[in-house]
Amino acid sequence: MKFSLVVYSAPYSSQSAATALHFAQQLLIQGHEIYRLFFFGDGVHNASKLAVVSQDETHIQQQWDSLIAENNIDSVVCVSSALKRGIINLEESNRHDLESISLSDSSEIAGLGQLIDASINSDRLVNFG
Amino acid sequence: MTSLHTITKPPSAAALQSCAKFLSEGDSILLLEDGVYYSADANNWPALPLGTKVYGLKEDFVARGLSKIVDRQVELVDYARFVQLSCEHDKVVSWL
Amino acid sequence: MNTTNSNTEITLLARSAPYGSGAAKLCLDVSIAAAVFEQTVNYVFLDDGIYQVLDEQDASPINSKSLGKTLEALGLYGIEKLYVDEDSLRKRNLSTDQLLPQVELVNADAIKKFINQSKFVLTL
Repeated sequence: MKFSLVVYSAPYSSQSAATALHFAQQLLIQGHEIYRLFFFGDGVHNASKLAVVSQDETHIQQQWDSLIAENNIDSVVCVSSALKRGIINLEESNRHDLESISLSDSSEIAGLGQLIDASINSDRLVNFG
Repeated sequence: MTSLHTITKPPSAAALQSCAKFLSEGDSILLLEDGVYYSADANNWPALPLGTKVYGLKEDFVARGLSKIVDRQVELVDYARFVQLSCEHDKVVSWL
Repeated sequence: MNTTNSNTEITLLARSAPYGSGAAKLCLDVSIAAAVFEQTVNYVFLDDGIYQVLDEQDASPINSKSLGKTLEALGLYGIEKLYVDEDSLRKRNLSTDQLLPQVELVNADAIKKFINQSKFVLTL
């Protein structure tokens, strides 16, 4: 089946990000397709590449990044949530004259239309927050 | 059209109470994250339509030290079964 | 995007009070996006979510935008009705004359029907 997942919570503040990650891994194990990951609200922090996590803790952002890159998954952070939370790609960094880039290379910034598109074109859309 | 309703917040958030008002025949409930504390609080559950299946995510019960005191109405499932349940129902309604 | 020919019914169950958390605003953003992409939106307010449709909100003292004002303007996007769970309203001792003009009271059966006939249900 074609699944899309929406993640509303930041990692470490809530268990939901880890639940979503576990669910996504299990989807792939069972041979389902992930049509899109959509990070919304505080969920955009899951796509930060600037997090440093101590070795005895799960590095959730890094696990998302590997999952997305290795399986070539379409991963989107909501533009209106991301920019105000400092989740910035090269394009936005240049446009706003910022010094840094924080968005993982495996995700892109896009609008809420991508969430609506996912709700139309997936068999199941599952929210985690 | 059946729904799998997921409850992730503790009983104090009363999501199960809201969810119960809108259950249809064939709907099921999955308790996970802090929603698993509903299992320890079964006396205060709202009335569920007859035949409503209640599942609990095993990993979250184990993590919280609840795996030996699972309410008899709750069937423990793993992530593999969580995915299957999402497929078996027509949609997933997450009570965030 | 692939959205042009397909109309999907989406139900939003808004359960959070406004301002104290960002949930109400996220839900509102989804409603507008869904309407812009010509999806059918059932926007339902229940539990503490009914505080979102209280009339006479003025968020300027907390340097915020009034959620009520935007909800009131949703007709511009084709969302004509804001559905309110009558049970939640009764429990909070509120009446419809304290709410935005376009609210319509609905009972649990009506909400159950919205959930059943929608492809996507978002509870925030």
